[in-house]
Amino acid sequence: MDQHLDKKIDEAMQSLDGIEKASPRPFFFTRLEARMQREKSRWEVISSFVAKPIVAFACICLIIMINVAVILSSANSKNLTDQQNSEQATADEYNSLSAPLYEFVNSTP
Amino acid sequence: MNESELIALVKKKDREAFKVIVETWQNMVFNTAIGFLQNAEDAEDTAQEVFMQVFESVSSFKEESKISTWIYRITVSKCLDHLRKKKRKKRFAFIQSLYGKNDSLMIDPPDFFHPGVKVENKENAALLFKAIEKLPVNQKMAFVLNKIENLSYREIGEIMNSSESAVDSLLQRAKKNLQSTLKEYYLLLDS
Repeated sequence: MDQHLDKKIDEAMQSLDGIEKASPRPFFFTRLEARMQREKSRWEVISSFVAKPIVAFACICLIIMINVAVILSSANSKNLTDQQNSEQATADEYNSLSAPLYEFVNSTP
Repeated sequence: MNESELIALVKKKDREAFKVIVETWQNMVFNTAIGFLQNAEDAEDTAQEVFMQVFESVSSFKEESKISTWIYRITVSKCLDHLRKKKRKKRFAFIQSLYGKNDSLMIDPPDFFHPGVKVENKENAALLFKAIEKLPVNQKMAFVLNKIENLSYREIGEIMNSSESAVDSLLQRAKKNLQSTLKEYYLLLDS
């Protein structure tokens, strides 16, 4: 049984000995050229669309708008943090002034 | 015309020189791809992608290796890309089938019959190809290049960027794995 199985496995392992090389269907180069042309024309359509003055102008406007929005939002947040800082400073100052008075009042018999 | 002159012309986008390159190496590329992918249509598709890549990246080819080695490397990497894409598609279809959206996937592909195999070996070769499909990628690559492309260990090493001894060990492991997979198949067929 084992010998029979080993023989079958050996036969399968040797089944690719002397294999002939496969080749593509005729006119491979013609099909390749047609595909390259298709891919090229697809990129040409995309690049010609992007290169249109109106599209380029719209893209530049969009980029400028995004930049302005980012600058404005960062300026707002800076103002807000400045305001928060001054409020915090006032609170700290008030605490440092009032604490000794509070302690003084509490410490008196 | 020697290889350097040919490459110089293709770098200048010369159509005739590119045609010479394609016609010289198309069988090599197709044969490697069909051994790897086990499907004639996928092999043709991949072979076209290989030559498109050759045309696009020829300017970066520094002629440190032979053209054939360079083209083999592109072929192997394109075949791996193709297998990855196929795996991703299969996984996606499997998930879809779980939700009942796609029932067409779960069918195993039919046995692959290589057109160059002798008629008397056809059945055995189909079983062997089924086992090759299950090999880890590196072993599969080494085995296909050795058995189907008839390349020496040195040539395979150049393509895979590894030493001859590493190729030898890959092939030994591939043969062991194939034998055990074939054993399982035959036991299953006999039972």
